[in-house]
Amino acid sequence: MIGRYSQFTLRGLLFVLCFAAYGVRAEPYLAVQLGLKCGQCHVNPTGGGLRTTFGDIFAQTVLPAQHLDTPLDNWTGQLGQYLRAGGDLRFDASLTQAPNTRSVDQFASEQTRVYMEADLIPNRLLAYADEQIAPGGALNREAYLLYWSATHDWYLKAGQMYLPFGLRLQDQSAFILTATGINMTTPDSGVEFGWEHGHWDAQLAVSNGTAGGAVNSNGKQTSTQLIYVESVWRAGVAANFNAQSGGAKSAYGIFGGLRTGPISWLAQAEITNDQSIPNGQGNKQLATLLEANWLIARGNNLKITQEFLNPNRAVRGAEETRWSLVYELTPIQFAQIRTGFRWNDGIPQNDAQHQRLYFVELHGFF
Amino acid sequence: MQVGRYRFWGALVLLGCAAAAGCAGNGQGLDQNGQPISSGGTTGGTTNGPVTADFQSIQANVFTPICSVCHIGASAPEGLQLDAAHSYNLLVGVPSNEQPNLLRVKAGDPDNSYMVRKIEGPNFGISGMQMPLGEKPLSQATINAIRQWVTNGAPNAPAAAAAAGQMFAVQTTAPLDQATVKAPLARILVTFTQDVDASLVNDTTVALERIDPTSTATGSAQNMSAAARLAPGNPAVLMITPSAQLGPGVYRVMVRGAGGGALANMNATPLGANTSFEFTVEPAQ
Repeated sequence: MIGRYSQFTLRGLLFVLCFAAYGVRAEPYLAVQLGLKCGQCHVNPTGGGLRTTFGDIFAQTVLPAQHLDTPLDNWTGQLGQYLRAGGDLRFDASLTQAPNTRSVDQFASEQTRVYMEADLIPNRLLAYADEQIAPGGALNREAYLLYWSATHDWYLKAGQMYLPFGLRLQDQSAFILTATGINMTTPDSGVEFGWEHGHWDAQLAVSNGTAGGAVNSNGKQTSTQLIYVESVWRAGVAANFNAQSGGAKSAYGIFGGLRTGPISWLAQAEITNDQSIPNGQGNKQLATLLEANWLIARGNNLKITQEFLNPNRAVRGAEETRWSLVYELTPIQFAQIRTGFRWNDGIPQNDAQHQRLYFVELHGFF
Repeated sequence: MQVGRYRFWGALVLLGCAAAAGCAGNGQGLDQNGQPISSGGTTGGTTNGPVTADFQSIQANVFTPICSVCHIGASAPEGLQLDAAHSYNLLVGVPSNEQPNLLRVKAGDPDNSYMVRKIEGPNFGISGMQMPLGEKPLSQATINAIRQWVTNGAPNAPAAAAAAGQMFAVQTTAPLDQATVKAPLARILVTFTQDVDASLVNDTTVALERIDPTSTATGSAQNMSAAARLAPGNPAVLMITPSAQLGPGVYRVMVRGAGGGALANMNATPLGANTSFEFTVEPAQ
């Protein structure tokens, strides 16, 4: 018991040491690297999806190792006076290994997504859609109306959307995203109120709590987060409470980001309590993430991630870890090559918790 | 120099954090799902107090310790595996082998759930013997809890939540790959880790063929007429019903998980690769 608490305390102290010494704040590494809020590069104030004009220009001129000059102007997503578009395509080759299991190597189209924005009232009211068109049939991820106040210090969003809770990572299998169940594969229908004031950002969302599925109870899901953003650090807290008929699930997290020279750090720690699981089994989890992004040279990023999951805080010895080493090369605008491996470790009797994943991914974006 | 110092401290902090970030558990005293062996948790092998009207309790107290002694693995009676990994998807919405007009568990209707009848006894219109076979019947309190769970709609909320974080994949099949079963075989089941998009279940994604195991020629397989559909109330289960019951022979089921229109879950995530399994139907004794 003492050991577990000591470990948790140590983990908390390390988190504080990693970030509080410099101040703190959070968001995926590009935002930390630039010292900007997510909404600077994305139409969605909480990040992800269609890039803003600033985001498009950044992605073509600053992100790649080399900008190939063309007779055309830089792509800004503008299709007309009112319409903007964008997209992401991910195709990979991977090899998955696990003990006592036949290895799987495959080519796969991981994801092709297109984004559309209609500026119905410029700078005030927009309609937005994020559609996954491959693999498989078309699938709507986000579709909402967003109303900005005249001074852009608050907004109201209504429709289907990703919920605000900590770092919005690209890797949807990260422990911190699967433990809460709040990620970019589980958008939900509801409303979100956002407040942006100086260094502060806050969101409050109320949604059905069914990850976009059919409503099966009157319970609602409430998600909220508060972030403070400085130029070299950021820190935030997040909470989620989903009151469903089978039992409520709650999650609380702290997250941050820090830039130390060429290295951008991300961290998040969260606890979840799922009362829908009976008998007190497996209902309280702890998940953490620590990630370093080393900008070796322009267009060359080395990402090292350490993750930890305690799938049941009432049980000792069931912890899982995952290390990832990913090299991201953006040789020219619109194209990125990501290669790396993920190394899982868990209890000896579960082969699936000892999976090794090696992959090369082509990421096209505009 | 400034950049070099940052790199040094950055690397040092990373190493410090990583070193203390925790290790994987040793798994001592746990089952393969990380649950205490002695607690009879969600997958344990011992009982855990009074059975309550939820699937996890029923699994832990009835299916795992009592039923899965026989109903497990490739030779599970009637292809019904009742270990924790398979039981739900082979019960809910799946027609009974003994009385195909009845579902093993019909959500919301315990009276017309064949599994309930089988544990209630011979006075309830069952074929074969009361379950558990050769054991004393379940207590009335346990039967009542199971009935109540069915009445409640046979939910499996924790598994559904867990499925959201799982990769979409084939979970199991009945018959299992390379299994041998007795003729005639009326139905083949393929269960998945997540619900399947019903609009993608068709002749191009699911195929049944009879093969000649002695031949390596590609044309040695014969397509079999069969209807594929998802189990009522449990869209994680694909049921393949041949037009005629399968007689002795070797058969192969193919599920297309790649390419346009591939079988996918409700989030349009396809299986990612084609899957097939073979089984042998041998003459009845």
